[in-house]
Amino acid sequence: MIVIEGLTKSFEPTRRQRHLALGDLSLSIGEGEFVSILGPSGCGKSTLLYVVGGFVPPSSGKVVVNGKAVTGPGPDRGPVFQEFALFPWKTVLGNVMYGLLEQGVPKALAESKARALISLVHLAGYEDFYPKQLSGGMKQRVAIARTLAYGPKILLMDEPFGALDAHTRTGLQRELLEIWERDRKTVLFVTHSVEEAVFLSDRVVVLTRSPGRIKAKIDIDLPRPRRRAELLVDRRYQTLVVEIEGLMDTQAQGRQ
Amino acid sequence: MSLKVSSASAAPPLLACLALLAAWEGAARVLDINGLPPAYDALRELPAILSDREALLNIAASLRRMLTGFVLALLISIPLGLAMARSPRVAAVFNPLLMLIYPVPKAALMPIIMLWLGIGDASKTIVIVLGVSLPVIYHSYQGARAIEEKLIWSAAAMGMRPAARLLRIVLPAALPQIFVGIRTGLVLALITMVTSEMIARQAGVGSILFNALDMAQYASVYAMIVIIGVLGFVLDLLFERLRAKLVAWAEPGHDIAVGTA
Repeated sequence: MIVIEGLTKSFEPTRRQRHLALGDLSLSIGEGEFVSILGPSGCGKSTLLYVVGGFVPPSSGKVVVNGKAVTGPGPDRGPVFQEFALFPWKTVLGNVMYGLLEQGVPKALAESKARALISLVHLAGYEDFYPKQLSGGMKQRVAIARTLAYGPKILLMDEPFGALDAHTRTGLQRELLEIWERDRKTVLFVTHSVEEAVFLSDRVVVLTRSPGRIKAKIDIDLPRPRRRAELLVDRRYQTLVVEIEGLMDTQAQGRQ
Repeated sequence: MSLKVSSASAAPPLLACLALLAAWEGAARVLDINGLPPAYDALRELPAILSDREALLNIAASLRRMLTGFVLALLISIPLGLAMARSPRVAAVFNPLLMLIYPVPKAALMPIIMLWLGIGDASKTIVIVLGVSLPVIYHSYQGARAIEEKLIWSAAAMGMRPAARLLRIVLPAALPQIFVGIRTGLVLALITMVTSEMIARQAGVGSILFNALDMAQYASVYAMIVIIGVLGFVLDLLFERLRAKLVAWAEPGHDIAVGTA
């Protein structure tokens, strides 16, 4: 359970300037819910995720996770970044094991857990590869496995598939859904792709252009498990995509 | 740059050495001046120097000072560079200091340091430390500043404390860049070693060289220069081997730019 109350975040690049990235945002996300944050680039949607992660302090307001106010990063909230952020000096196995060892899990147990996760993300056989030897899609699979490894209750995904080509992207969306449908973690997923948000989420939150405020919350009442091929021809899916795209369009027109 | 030195790539450097020797020999014959003995005369001195116990002890003592200064410099410079990158306050204190020290030829400080500490090992080692430190601090600083912030966030989310992040995330992530600084530092260690011995002429490679110069034994002077050159070459080669092994994981973009010394 994540409760975000009256959150604002401003940056001060110089003393005279003040840039308000997030303006008075309140939102609550239920346990096991998959929520996507959609918005035009620069609307502060990633900033929102970083504040929930405890990586960036809010300017005002607060974030409460399972009854505890967020004051910094913690293993209950696992991030997955667009930049993958793998440890380049560690192998695939070393990366996936890292968080487990950090939590004090004995080495042999950490290794067997890590190996299981590596096959879960279809990378068995690549355990001893270094990140530089992997493609973007493979790197992101490792990053997901690395975060899943230490068992966070909440996944914070910051445009995780944004740097991947369309084909890899749909493949990873499907894999993510399969994993999520198994253990139903709470997911906060930032993206600028409407289709991706509708395909994956229980609920889509659309932010306004900077400063980011909530423009709309849309429940995605599509049955699960979802198959991409079926959804693409599903009337309800199409209506939702068009409706949400409309929401994003009007704000673009409002500014330009 | 390839990670291994293959036998095919050994030919061009060998040719370059031969060409240099030929040019030297030719120039010496054409110019026919005292201060430039033919290459052959200088190389003929090598066996004599390298079999002389006194000379070898001097070379060994020089190398020992150089390595002591080099290692001390690394122990100070790498943590300082990393700390500067992660803390604006530390950077604000040290940046102006470093900018002040940067243009000062470190060997020029030698006479002053000698006033405090005499002409022994301590003075020379300190000058070497000063010579090595700046490039290592600079590259550690730049390397640590350039690392992806999200690497640190990823570690923080795993529960890693800030102090541990510096050692276990920032240090390895900046390592490819730090090695660029260390390589420059290694060459500078050799240079400051020789110049410090040239000023405090009590023992060592530099003192042999400049004593020979005083006595107009030009063949010996050039032989010593050859020895110093070969020392530098071998040290650099060994270091490159070590570096290639330690940061083989790095993206090619991090590879070393040669010739910064």
